[in-house]
Amino acid sequence: MEAAKMASPKSAPKDAQVMAQILKDMGITEYEPRVINQMLEFAYRYVTTILEDAKIYSSHAKKSSVDADDVRLAIQCRTDQSFTSPPPRDFLLDIARQKNQTPLPLIKPYSGPRLPPDRYCLTAPNYRLKSLQKKVSSTAGRITVPRLSVGAVSSRPSTPTLGTPSAQTVSVSAKVGAPVSLAGQRFTVQIPSSQPAGKSATPTTPTVQNVLINPSLIGPKNILITTNMVPPGAAEPNPLKRKHEEDDDYDAL
Amino acid sequence: DRQTLVAVLQFLRRSNLRESEEILRREARLLGDDLAGNVATVATSSPGVAAVAAVPPGKGEARGDSPSSRREPREAGSPCAARSLRGSPLCWDTRVGAVVVEDQPDVSAVLSAYNQQGDPTLYEEYYSGLKHFIECSLDCHRAELSQLFYPLFVHMYLELVYNQHESEAKSFFERFHGDQECYYQDDLRVLSSLTKKEHMKGNETMLDFRTSKFVLRISRDSYQLLKRHLQEKQNNQIWNIVQEHLYIDIFDGMPRSKQQIDAMVGSLAGEAKREANKAKVFFGLLKEPEFDVPLDDEDEEGENEEGKPKKKKPKKDNVGSKSKKQDPNAPPQNRIPLPELKDSDKLDKVMNMKEAARRVRLGPECLPSICFYTFLNAYQGLTAVDITDDSSMIVGGFADSTVRVWSVTPKKLRSVKTAADLSLIDKESDDVLERIMDEKTASELKILYGHSGPVYGTSFSPDRNYLLSCSEDGTVRLWSLQTFTCLVGYKGHNYPVWDTQFSPYGYYFVSGGHDRVARLWATDHYQPLRIFAGHLADVTCTRFHPNSNYIATGSADRTIRLWDVLNGNCVRIFTGHKGPIHSLAFSPNGRFLATGATDGRVLLWDIGHGLMVGELKGHTDTIYALRFSRDGEILASGSMDNTVRLWDAVKAFEDLETDDFTTATGHINLPENSQDLLLGTYMTKSTPVVHLHFTRRNLLLAAGAYSSQ
Repeated sequence: MEAAKMASPKSAPKDAQVMAQILKDMGITEYEPRVINQMLEFAYRYVTTILEDAKIYSSHAKKSSVDADDVRLAIQCRTDQSFTSPPPRDFLLDIARQKNQTPLPLIKPYSGPRLPPDRYCLTAPNYRLKSLQKKVSSTAGRITVPRLSVGAVSSRPSTPTLGTPSAQTVSVSAKVGAPVSLAGQRFTVQIPSSQPAGKSATPTTPTVQNVLINPSLIGPKNILITTNMVPPGAAEPNPLKRKHEEDDDYDAL
Repeated sequence: DRQTLVAVLQFLRRSNLRESEEILRREARLLGDDLAGNVATVATSSPGVAAVAAVPPGKGEARGDSPSSRREPREAGSPCAARSLRGSPLCWDTRVGAVVVEDQPDVSAVLSAYNQQGDPTLYEEYYSGLKHFIECSLDCHRAELSQLFYPLFVHMYLELVYNQHESEAKSFFERFHGDQECYYQDDLRVLSSLTKKEHMKGNETMLDFRTSKFVLRISRDSYQLLKRHLQEKQNNQIWNIVQEHLYIDIFDGMPRSKQQIDAMVGSLAGEAKREANKAKVFFGLLKEPEFDVPLDDEDEEGENEEGKPKKKKPKKDNVGSKSKKQDPNAPPQNRIPLPELKDSDKLDKVMNMKEAARRVRLGPECLPSICFYTFLNAYQGLTAVDITDDSSMIVGGFADSTVRVWSVTPKKLRSVKTAADLSLIDKESDDVLERIMDEKTASELKILYGHSGPVYGTSFSPDRNYLLSCSEDGTVRLWSLQTFTCLVGYKGHNYPVWDTQFSPYGYYFVSGGHDRVARLWATDHYQPLRIFAGHLADVTCTRFHPNSNYIATGSADRTIRLWDVLNGNCVRIFTGHKGPIHSLAFSPNGRFLATGATDGRVLLWDIGHGLMVGELKGHTDTIYALRFSRDGEILASGSMDNTVRLWDAVKAFEDLETDDFTTATGHINLPENSQDLLLGTYMTKSTPVVHLHFTRRNLLLAAGAYSSQ
């Protein structure tokens, strides 16, 4: 965009001309034409805020009209709120003196990437994976999909991060078929272990396969709709829990 | 009167004269309630003071503007702030006590500052009287005494504004602002908009100017003349003002000419006191650790540290210096802790040495070729550029808060594989460093998102693993160039950060911003290690010395300060620029500093002696880029006037007059040799030059964003 010279005085309203003059007085000679509009808008907003505040102060002091003192007070209070300025020099000199007294810390050799403690870094994962025990397939209308279960042992995140999600955030119930209540909006994922149906009763820790969360599988409730490929016999044991789970589903909305 | 009492009580308390303080307070109790009430109004009417009192000095909100708090009672009918007072009026002293944090000189400033110097209506008389006297003085003295005009004008004007004599202030300004030097015009424009006391409150720079002393260097003869004139009875008021606000650094010798003075003045704080530039500065370079270069015959000798005599003679030159003795001007190796040299660093040094062997020797007959990288479609949003030392990557910081990294060489940018894939590779293979890279992510451009404001400074780490960027959002971010993700956000400046740079050895970095301080950080500390406070206005440019022991900061108050990393002291103050400084460059041998500012001049400084040794005129607009060639023979400068200029650095630094007089007084006669030193001017079509970089073979790379007007 080209930096334009001042707006042509003939067509601009008086306010804009005044603003252009102010810019000229402050030594600003090149600016885009939008700047005048932005400055006018700012001036309008600022003045109305101050005047509204002043009205409040004057009514609080039970005065009949707003006078200069109210406006002055309003300006002072707003200044400290919206336009903070950097700390004063004496304060800076003081803290500088304190900081500069401590000697420079020694550097430990061979310590890998030198970063602050983890809580001050941005390297931690900002998501958690929680396993969901499979929902029973007997509920009508659910689609059969191979399920992924996230193992208790190191899960492999699909996004490259420097920190791996801690293993304990993922809980796996050994018993395939016991539903786990949902927490919040998290959708959970389960992989069917490639074991034959007969083994499903034994509590084996399913191995991890690729955790691929296919968004198309996510149903309207933000929950991965899965079905149980395990024979329904294993799913029977906890019909009550299933009900809870359904309630939780609704709660999770 | 009452305020004097308050200030005296503070002083006594701070000097631990408890008994005297008690006695004084007891006697003052007679005025007690009156006093408390008055001070309560003082405190309430200035919410800044209340904020200070309410917050311990540790927090950032303090406004220590004690002169203003003393002046409050003069206001007729000051409004009572809605802000509630902390505690009862009986603890007024502790509250007000929180305000006075400064050193003793400021207390006396407080005591004298509110004494109104005579009748405001007579200020014009005083000033014009002084003006008349100076104009009638001898020519040789006139130039020096004319230095008084500007600081006196500003201080008297601010005094009038402070004491709320608005009409007198306006007429004073009208009458005399035209007489000031042209290089002060920007300041005068700012001053013209300050007509009320409230306007001054937000302007930290003006407040600092008011409380600090403006330094003038005047020869003894001129000073005697001035003193004699001012101490005559009718001029007593001006004498008081001079004593209060100006610091006159007297030297014995010939008065300076107008030309000499013009070269050195221009900063917001006057010139530098001579003692300010007397501290010893270790400007020498650190010894490189010596090790044999594995040459064609793979001489795996192993490393020897710092100049111990070796058993076998190496076939070629060592990486380090030949002399075994310590350079007296170099800092001791362990003066500041530096990270150890890793294997990859050693390999890098070997590469550096090999490239250095093929380096082009530059000189007036052999000018470098310039390769210009133009950023297209940036729409005036390119705000920062940096290039790695081996010229393999270029980064741009943009006003849309993105940071974009490009690969300059045909080798694309790759990020490291995910943890899943990393466990699958063979860790024992020779090319493991290649295997950890994920080919699927190879691209020429990587965009880094994270900042929430324009990115004003970028800096690669010397080992090319990290990238720093600083932004208007007040944070400095550390990015990994192996995963292209953000690792840390360093918060400390709460205001825009204008510049940042990694140390030449890595690990440390410096940042400077709008809060008028520069901070030294280490990548593994979330808080700064050092705070360099002293500038009167924003710190706009920060650079490390090649030996990493000193940091140069250029500021909007038109001074350059050199700080010692070890203890945070300011060891040099360089004045002479007439506009905010935007570029700094140390010479490769560490002895000299080149600086560029909005006034279009490049100034050269001798760090050891603390003197200005050269002035390069030629550019017509702000100089944003300065770089010395790899062996220091050529200085390249790039500016907003769309040109790159090359200057002969060898010639500029030879023939330095360093006789006793010069070092004692700091005056130097600068020859007008800019034209001789200019080796070439290279114009771009319409691309301001934002960054310059000499490759290891002395090819000059330049960068800028194409702007279509």
